[in-house]
Amino acid sequence: MGSYNLGIDIGGTFIDAILFDGKTGETRLEKAPTVPQNPSSGVLRAVDKLGIDLGEVGTIVHGTTLGLNAVLERRGARVGIITTEGFRDILELGRGDLPADHMYDMHYRRPEPLVQRRRIAGVPERLNVDGKVDVRLDGDAVVNAVNHLVHKQDVSSMAICCLHSYRNPEHERQIAAIARELFPDIWLSVSHEVVREYREYERTCTTVLDAYIRPIFERYIDDLYSDLADKGFTGRFLVMRSSGGAMTAQAAKQRPLDSVMSGPAGGIIGASYLAQQLQLDRVLTMDFGGTSLDTCVIENAAPDVIHETRLQHMPVLIPTFDIRCLGAGGGSIAWLEEGMLRLGPQSAGAEPGPIAYGRGGKEPTLTDAALVLGYIDPDNFLNGELPLYMTEARKGLESGIATPMGADALEAAAGIFSVLVAQTEGAVREITIEQGKDPKEFSILAFGGAGPLVAPLLALEMGIPSTIIPNVPAVFSAWGMLMADLATDVSRTYIVELEESQLPGVAELFQVLEQEASSSLTQQGVETDKQAMVRCMEMRYLGQEHTLKLEVQGMPAYEAVRFLFDSAHEQRYGHRTEQPLELVNLRVTGLGRVAKPGLARQSATTSTGSFENVSGTRKAYCFRDRKMKVFQLVERHRLVPGDCISGPAIIDEGTSTTVIYTGQVCTLDDFGHLLITT
Amino acid sequence: MDSATIGVIHSYLCSAAEEMRRTLIRTAFSPVIYEVLDFGISIYSSDLDLIADAPGLAFFLGANDYAVKTGIERVGVDNLEPGDIIALNYPYWSSAHAADVALFAPVFDDGEDRPFAYTCIRAHWLDMGAKDPGYVLDSTDIHQEGLILPAVKVYKRGKPDKELLDVIRFNSRMPENVLGDLEAQVAATQTGIDRLKQVRRKFGGDVLAQAITGILDYGERITRKALKEIPNGSWTAEDYVDDDGIDDEIIPLRVRVTVKNDRFIVDFSESPGAAVGPVNIPFGLSQTIGKVVLKILTAPNHPSNAGCFRPLEVIAPPGNLFHAVYPAATYTLWPAMVALELVLKALSVAMPDRIPACSGGDVPGFMMYGKEPASGRPYAISNNEPVGWGAAAGHDGANAHNHVSTTMVRNTPIEVMEAKTGMQFDRVELRCDSGGAGKFRGGLGIYRDIRFVWPGHFLSITKKSKTSPWSLEGGHRPQPNAFHVFPDTARNAKVGTYRTAVSPGEHILSVSAGGGGHGNPGLRDPGLVLNDVLDGYVSVQAAEEIYKVAIKDGKVDTRATSALRGTTGD
Repeated sequence: MGSYNLGIDIGGTFIDAILFDGKTGETRLEKAPTVPQNPSSGVLRAVDKLGIDLGEVGTIVHGTTLGLNAVLERRGARVGIITTEGFRDILELGRGDLPADHMYDMHYRRPEPLVQRRRIAGVPERLNVDGKVDVRLDGDAVVNAVNHLVHKQDVSSMAICCLHSYRNPEHERQIAAIARELFPDIWLSVSHEVVREYREYERTCTTVLDAYIRPIFERYIDDLYSDLADKGFTGRFLVMRSSGGAMTAQAAKQRPLDSVMSGPAGGIIGASYLAQQLQLDRVLTMDFGGTSLDTCVIENAAPDVIHETRLQHMPVLIPTFDIRCLGAGGGSIAWLEEGMLRLGPQSAGAEPGPIAYGRGGKEPTLTDAALVLGYIDPDNFLNGELPLYMTEARKGLESGIATPMGADALEAAAGIFSVLVAQTEGAVREITIEQGKDPKEFSILAFGGAGPLVAPLLALEMGIPSTIIPNVPAVFSAWGMLMADLATDVSRTYIVELEESQLPGVAELFQVLEQEASSSLTQQGVETDKQAMVRCMEMRYLGQEHTLKLEVQGMPAYEAVRFLFDSAHEQRYGHRTEQPLELVNLRVTGLGRVAKPGLARQSATTSTGSFENVSGTRKAYCFRDRKMKVFQLVERHRLVPGDCISGPAIIDEGTSTTVIYTGQVCTLDDFGHLLITT
Repeated sequence: MDSATIGVIHSYLCSAAEEMRRTLIRTAFSPVIYEVLDFGISIYSSDLDLIADAPGLAFFLGANDYAVKTGIERVGVDNLEPGDIIALNYPYWSSAHAADVALFAPVFDDGEDRPFAYTCIRAHWLDMGAKDPGYVLDSTDIHQEGLILPAVKVYKRGKPDKELLDVIRFNSRMPENVLGDLEAQVAATQTGIDRLKQVRRKFGGDVLAQAITGILDYGERITRKALKEIPNGSWTAEDYVDDDGIDDEIIPLRVRVTVKNDRFIVDFSESPGAAVGPVNIPFGLSQTIGKVVLKILTAPNHPSNAGCFRPLEVIAPPGNLFHAVYPAATYTLWPAMVALELVLKALSVAMPDRIPACSGGDVPGFMMYGKEPASGRPYAISNNEPVGWGAAAGHDGANAHNHVSTTMVRNTPIEVMEAKTGMQFDRVELRCDSGGAGKFRGGLGIYRDIRFVWPGHFLSITKKSKTSPWSLEGGHRPQPNAFHVFPDTARNAKVGTYRTAVSPGEHILSVSAGGGGHGNPGLRDPGLVLNDVLDGYVSVQAAEEIYKVAIKDGKVDTRATSALRGTTGD
């Protein structure tokens, strides 16, 4: 098998292809524009630019947001739903609430639904809450419903979702069998197979989304795989998952939803890997791009995973990394409203972009502020590929913000950064405090093009002692993909009051789930002795709705489970109670470890400690001293391990810029990471 | 004070409220708090001006303002010490019924003897020992509505008052939940206090005070600017609630709304005097109705602060239905929901293009309580039914959402309710033809067929089942909310607010109203009528009789439609 590993990450505008050479430890990156009409052709273009023989590539890891985009752009399949008679509006009714940003909107209307009501059929059948049959399934009604949906409504993909099917999937199985027999070529998504968990709206929504993207996703994976094979690729083709790890193309086609939120997953996997290598217990990632700043909490090298997320207004019951959007990105627009300076939520996006791009942008953005503050070299932005217009940016800041607020452009720009910091600090506190944690106990790991520019400032303002900037932070996400293991998740809702006598039943169900996970991994080519299983129990005190997830080894005794839960509850919520425990869900993650590139030590050139090799100086705004200061300019590639730079300084590497302030110290570690202490 | 510092401090204050909200959700015991989000969180300046709040129940947020002002006046600023937390549920001061308890606290910086801010969290406590478990539908004075906490310290200098907590414990039917939720409110209060102290230390007391002035001025300016879009004038409106829970008589609600330059005056003086039953509105809640309307009209997407409400004046003389005085009963405050849309109705005269028609009218809610047969444990689970929203000039009303006064509240999943109560549902579905017809159609209400599998008690609440929600510009009125109890039996009745024992096998049908229509249905685009028919929102018969559109074989019959509409066709 070949010595290369290849990561391919499709973004909204660009495809990143990152090549890792197992012999030399080197990585190389090429980009090509995304081709929305024919995504596979764009991928091939990026791969071609690398100029390698695909026969030499052992593993390709592919990150795609095709499923997500199909939903956002409403390009999915024409879906029909078969459900319990009397309940055909579960999808439309939802939970009755409005999104928080519409709290006072009496003109609110739901977004365009994925399935029109005319394509939803109820059939006589009903299970009660214990999974017992109350009304037997009417097979003739199913035949009629399926025929109607296919012939009269042109449905190509069908979601089957009955009440209480998480307890007893028999009726759903029968409906699926009838549909399959009538129309062997139709796509089917059956709720207990997609997600066997309780809560009918959330389960239905998840199943419908699965049905909506399944055909387009399957076609894409097949096309891409055969195109790569035509070019000589014979290795392993993996697709990134939203909650970490990867899956084979075959598994991905069976579970298209698992990839739907995988866009930012590579960065989190890479960050977990670094956290492990650098022995960091608590890490906050800061992925700062053009439109948003995203963060994820990583403890003991394990990122937080949640099991319900949102796609637009729709809940999706799939495991995803718990990535939170903290707000503004580089293109976010700053504006004055009745005497208050505000930032976002509007963004200038890539087009027209910030004023400084000179593409017709009129409104000052965060990027314009960074330019005026002196952090970005206008002639060397993105390695000089995009010259920036300093004068225009300053004028825009003056007329839009500085003059009306009675300040100069510099004060306005510093104000914009202060607002960014306030918003970000607030958001970071909100997400750490809800878990009962203190942000000060974390290290920041910053990546994305603009991450290194703002992370040290955030560290300064929040009193966070340590910040890490990895190698080539602009493409860290693509690099992270190469660190993915094979993984699969299975779950089951099993609501019982937990007592000693229940544990054998729980252990039995864990074994069933592990067998499911194991057979999935085996199908994906992972031998049994390379598989590892992680068991989690989701529980709560009786009467609560929210659950806490506990990882358990084997099947502990009741007292041990109780102790674990009480402690976890107290850590997170500040109290414990005498209430009985209620089990809600069992989850098993199956892992198949794969070989991955290790961290390469930098050449053994010895550092003299302090770094003298500055390439110049520039005046820029120092947030520690609250005034313009002379910053040392450093080119990152000239640093060697052990080098140490004291702020204020600007460390440039073409695709991104690290800015440190008075009192902050930056050293280069053995692997080439910038470690900044505050 | 420069705009940037105002923006920065504003952001920190809003985050502090949000941190309090997350702490409360994460530590609360009762689903009514962390699932239904039945709470309101606010932060006040040293002058008791609202400076930040967190998304929650709209009526709670405004009511907190009145509660904190009245409560602090009652206790006296001089009697406040660091670590004090005060509980208030006396309806006439706290602006809500006795089950909604406001917990507020002064925030002192270390070593200072005057508070520089206050926090307030109001949440629904499951049982305060009122005359009936679950909900009170027919009280005739305040003393039937539960234990009263008249602005008393539950925490003194950081320590719980164990005696007072015992009083609460022994007056509640569900003491574990109530005290657990109280602790959650205390934890969230502490979060707010810590955070506000940090903000003050970061910027200093003077800068914080100046920024607060700037924030309030900002709120006032955005509101006054938006108010300029509303024409000057004075308009009246009338609507009705079913009864006071004691006798059957319909109660009229009347309002006069006056916009004069940038003042916004809501006057309930023409509404009737106090009712015998529990439908009397505390004055702080009447003020809140005005605040919510002003917010909807002027700054729906901005965080609230006291500056936003400076142009507002609410009038209701003591003893009026909208100014409850001791000992008036106040438990079922549903007329406040009706009154919210009543104020909008008055404004619709001035702005028929901006105001939608009425929604289904109020929040039809139901509850089942009893004992789990297997464990013998008591339970009480409630649910708000969604109603259709009103149509507006330019668009149809949304189908089946929670009422405009409770937009953040979520309903309880069927699979959860069936697990936790003795109810099983035979149907939960949109009601064909329930949306008020119009050029733009009102949203649809729903049916819910409830069949009982355990014995227990059921209660329903709606105060808008006898009269139809209002429509606009010639749109049609929808059928109102209703609960049909024990249909097809001798005990069959159509009710609104009701309590009954139930046995396995018995049925109750809940029917929620659609929203009012906007404009003449005969002018509705036939293509839209066709879509409604294909999706089952409108019947073929209603399409023909009301919308004058003939639908045949899944298509618009153009010729027949022209004949129905008396036009010559395309």
